Amino acid sequence: MIPIAIAQQTVREAMRRRVMWIFLISGLFLIAMGPVFGFLSPKDSQTVLRSLGLAAILLAGLFITIVTCIYLIPSEIERRTIYTVLSKPVQRFQFVLGKFLGGFATVFINIFAMGLVFLVLIYSQEHRLPTDMFLGVVMTFFQMLLLAALSIFFSTFSTPVVNFFLSFGIFMVGNLSSVTDSLITNSNPLVSNAGRIVHYLLPNFGNFNIQNSIIHPTIEIKNPQVFMMQNIIYAVVYSLVLLTLAVLIFDRREV
Amino acid sequence: MASAIKIDGLTKKYIDVWQKQEVVAVNSLNLEVAEGEIFGFLGRNGAGKTTTIKMLLGLIFPTSGDATILGQPMGDNNVKQSLAYLPEETYFYDSMTGWDLIDFYGQLFKIPQPERSRRVQQCLEKVRLQPDAWKRAVRGYSKGMRQRIGIAQALINDPKLLFLDEPTSGLDPIAHAELRDIVASLKDEGKTVFLSSHQLADVELICSRIAIIHKGKLLTTGTIKELVEGERTEIVAQGSALQNGVFAKLQSVSSTATKEGDNRVRLISSSVEEINAIIDLVRGAQGQVISMVPQKRTLEDVFVETVRREDGDI
Repeated sequence: MIPIAIAQQTVREAMRRRVMWIFLISGLFLIAMGPVFGFLSPKDSQTVLRSLGLAAILLAGLFITIVTCIYLIPSEIERRTIYTVLSKPVQRFQFVLGKFLGGFATVFINIFAMGLVFLVLIYSQEHRLPTDMFLGVVMTFFQMLLLAALSIFFSTFSTPVVNFFLSFGIFMVGNLSSVTDSLITNSNPLVSNAGRIVHYLLPNFGNFNIQNSIIHPTIEIKNPQVFMMQNIIYAVVYSLVLLTLAVLIFDRREV
Repeated sequence: MASAIKIDGLTKKYIDVWQKQEVVAVNSLNLEVAEGEIFGFLGRNGAGKTTTIKMLLGLIFPTSGDATILGQPMGDNNVKQSLAYLPEETYFYDSMTGWDLIDFYGQLFKIPQPERSRRVQQCLEKVRLQPDAWKRAVRGYSKGMRQRIGIAQALINDPKLLFLDEPTSGLDPIAHAELRDIVASLKDEGKTVFLSSHQLADVELICSRIAIIHKGKLLTTGTIKELVEGERTEIVAQGSALQNGVFAKLQSVSSTATKEGDNRVRLISSSVEEINAIIDLVRGAQGQVISMVPQKRTLEDVFVETVRREDGDI
């Protein structure tokens, strides 16, 4: 009950932030522009509509997740609202969990809104249920779950500015898994080991992207169900590990 | 009477990494607060009052020492069911309405409905927040209204022990008096209040005991009566020789000696021995003691003297 109460309050505060609405409206605008760009390239109109829509959801979702989650704990400390919460019978893990759930619920609401508009738009163009695009939206959703957990983890010990660069940087590196994978095979043992650490330690955000299979029809996801389940389990387990570490750090933090 | 708070050698040190210095915020503090009393915790800004409260609430961790709150170790989550805290310069989730805010804090105590709504209403009424403000966002509240909401959130769990950090600072005289009365009324309900304040007149009016902390160190503790009652006597003497050679001798007995018109000297004496010595000097110089008026000290006098003595200014 306590984490849910904190989560509800967090959603209420987060939804008030103007910057979040700017990203949401930008994302919706880009999705809505899909048919226009598709019209400009009639041969690939469906590909443009789909890849632009998914990219818009990913980009808007990325910034909404980061700007929402990096402030959740630091702003409570800075505004001293945390004093009136942690002086109540609230365990620190409940506070971190509540903040994470609230942050993630905010991200969910935004991705749900963009995803719905995107899927309705495709349905209106193709007159069939775009299951592959639905998969793309769900993958973005779990990608952001992982990113939210990462930002919450960093927010337990770093400032929002540092957190922004860390979260954004790791998201970028995590999307370049093919590059870090190639580093492992490098002949230099130093580069190889560094590549191995980066490849296996940092979250593999690239796994969640299905844009490649849209743009390059030769790249096919053989079993979408297995692909989806593997990624969901990966995101949930990795997020749980990050949240556990966040709780361990925050438990020792003075506020 | 049982102890609501028992502090044993509580110490908090911070390390200034850049200056490579150790800052002692609270230094081996020993203190006991009885159940049912309003206890004034006094000190200058930066004396260590808030640091002490934050340690007792488990918001920060002591370097050494220990404390029990209502018989449980400080920071214990179960004991927080019976605690309340009003921080200095209270900030709230200001997009929430007054009602929703208190309801939110009620949820943190797992108070079920409809009991929670009943208590929210009770608390808002107790702090005398106008009903038309209950459903307005807190960001539109005045300083006085925010302090009222602050006290309301502290009362939602019907606490046994309240930590109030400057609950009346920066308020207009009416709001000040009203909130002071609310704090005073908590004693009648059997609650213990640990009151940190600079409003010494309020403390003198509503607290039964006080402690003065300075630079992290406890300087004195006792009942207000004990501390303000001193054997201070104001003596006015008159004589042509008093402002000349004898004046230095009078000053050596009482440093408060001041010269006045009509060959008068005014002194404050704080002991019978001093009074006798002054009378001997005055009469030896062919002077007269015009008046001797026993004086009661205010808490402000006690506070200023105690702190200045510690700083070596007296």
